Amino acid sequence: MAGAGGGGCPAGGNDLQWCFSQVKGAVDEDVAEADIISTVEFNYSGDLLATGDKGGRVVIFQREQENKSRPHSRGEYNVYSTFQSHEPEFDYLKSLEIEEKINKIRWLPQQNAAHFLLSTNDKTIKLWKISERDKRAEGYNLKDEDGRLRDPFRITALRVPILKPMDLMVEASPRRIFANAHTYHINSISVNSDHETYLSADDLRINLWHLEITDRSFNIVDIKPANMEELTEVITAAELHPLQCNVFVYSSSKGTVRLCDMRASALCDRHAKFFEEPEDPSSRSFFSEIISSISDVKFSHSGRYMMTRDYLSVKVWDLNMESRPVETHQVHEYLRGKLCSLYENDCVFDKFECCWNGPDSAIMTGSYNNFFRMFDRNTRRDVTLEASRESSRPRASLKPRRVCPGGRRKKDEISVDSLDFNKKILHTAWHPADNVIAVAATNNLYIFQDKVN
Amino acid sequence: MEVQKEAQRIMTLSVWKMYHSRMQRGGLRLHRSLQLSLIMRSAREVYLSAKVEAHEEPGVPSQPACSLDPRLHPPREAQTRVEAALSDSEQLCPEPMDTQEAPRAEESPARCAPRPAKISRKRRSSSLANSGDAGLVPSKKARLEEEGAEEGESSEISNRLQPPPAQAEGAFPNLARVLQRRFSGLLNCSPAVPPTVPPPPACEAKPVCRRADSMLNVLVRAVVAF
Repeated sequence: MAGAGGGGCPAGGNDLQWCFSQVKGAVDEDVAEADIISTVEFNYSGDLLATGDKGGRVVIFQREQENKSRPHSRGEYNVYSTFQSHEPEFDYLKSLEIEEKINKIRWLPQQNAAHFLLSTNDKTIKLWKISERDKRAEGYNLKDEDGRLRDPFRITALRVPILKPMDLMVEASPRRIFANAHTYHINSISVNSDHETYLSADDLRINLWHLEITDRSFNIVDIKPANMEELTEVITAAELHPLQCNVFVYSSSKGTVRLCDMRASALCDRHAKFFEEPEDPSSRSFFSEIISSISDVKFSHSGRYMMTRDYLSVKVWDLNMESRPVETHQVHEYLRGKLCSLYENDCVFDKFECCWNGPDSAIMTGSYNNFFRMFDRNTRRDVTLEASRESSRPRASLKPRRVCPGGRRKKDEISVDSLDFNKKILHTAWHPADNVIAVAATNNLYIFQDKVN
Repeated sequence: MEVQKEAQRIMTLSVWKMYHSRMQRGGLRLHRSLQLSLIMRSAREVYLSAKVEAHEEPGVPSQPACSLDPRLHPPREAQTRVEAALSDSEQLCPEPMDTQEAPRAEESPARCAPRPAKISRKRRSSSLANSGDAGLVPSKKARLEEEGAEEGESSEISNRLQPPPAQAEGAFPNLARVLQRRFSGLLNCSPAVPPTVPPPPACEAKPVCRRADSMLNVLVRAVVAF
């Protein structure tokens, strides 16, 4: 299945033609480390798209209203707010620098006019409020227009302050800071369907927080062995169920997923379900443990399935069947023979994420050479697309790419040896309702959408 | 031979990666350290079993009591020790050597000695010296003057095994020690050197292996120097 795919691109059972919509970020060849995008996330309505980068910044894009003069073009995403979420810190006790890199962003369901999101680096989670202001109060009694206190003797009459219109301003303010709860590096945060709690996971522990309370959290999973010399696995990702607020899953570096029910006990060290596929002994190599490590786990929107991404494949699991996945899609199987050089250049440690489309009928995940893959679950068709500036004319159709796994290379095929392993797509996001996708390619954010007929 | 070389190359790479992980911004990543140690374990198993095969082929009598077969060792345990030392900053005790030295040092002699001697944890220096593996114990003084006089394996080993300078110990002080121990253990108890067979070891007869060994030495020295 690797490298295959028809002319159309799968999504929702129908063959779609994906076309370029926008690209954000500098064109420069010389990419600053701080500009590399480290996470991408749509909010629940899909109107806002947040990215986080290695420089600790969060950039929020807002979808413009439909333009009636250009009915073909659906709303474009433009910068709505940019703010510095995390700064580099230094842990003086451990003599350790804490990077500002944003590891994950998760939106909270919208409750009022403001938007809230959680962002996290390796150690600290922050709750941000993003709100608009287009009016300001004028005519205070005790202070003048530029905020200085007025001389009380000169106040001779009382007046009622009035709201005056002003240019729209988007403010991002930190509302809560959840710190000092993780000894290891935070890899996941997930907001609960009760809208009140969320979990955060590091290499060995998962904590449950209340969104309002910053000075305490509940440890719900702890896999740290009493003797660290006996450590054999770490937690790689965790997510709460989209509908059942008592259920969450976490994946491990051994390629397994545990589903836990918080109703069973306060400490969920014992799982309710254990998802594991037996290993194929014929494909064992030096790197078996590494490539089976799960880099991302995502529940489907329906909550019936979950998807796991390991180094070479993406698997869909039915929550009712623990013994094996219901679907296994090869993402770049042609790399199996190149694992040694991928170990040399550290690529084998890359953590690819994955995402579902709105109706859970298609999944998407990244690969190398700025390629990303889509798999249609109904038709079992898959396609490889490329995020590149060369095809970044407005509404230009994305041409499916093919990688030649070896042997003779056909026309329009790319040989495995000519893939650029520095160009990797680790983070992608799919609009919750529409066929709009956001693909992070190093410091650029590509937005593609289906061609509207 | 190809497999063995490949395994050795992967081990060398792993040491480099572990070494460089220390200087990574944000500190050591537990997941990465674990993965590196797993790869190193796999490579070590392959390396050792390939050596066993290479050793048995020329008809050199193998020592049944010498547990060269990697399957007889608990490799996971051994390697997770490396991992643990690498990653657990929480568990660092003021004197990690006191609690960890004895069992670790025991590994290497146990592998080669026909009957692994029971080693007292407290008097490890003397007991190790008695068990014929004094080279594995960090000497109290830097043996600078001996280095010039001694040539060959023994001086190399002692050189490799000098304790790293205390000021070089950062958040993960036992990394260097563990690495050097693992590798010196690996090299010392290579199947080509069963305790009853006198030197030169088989790897000296093979220039390819010799070169690789010295490369490892350089690496290990680099770690120690750090």
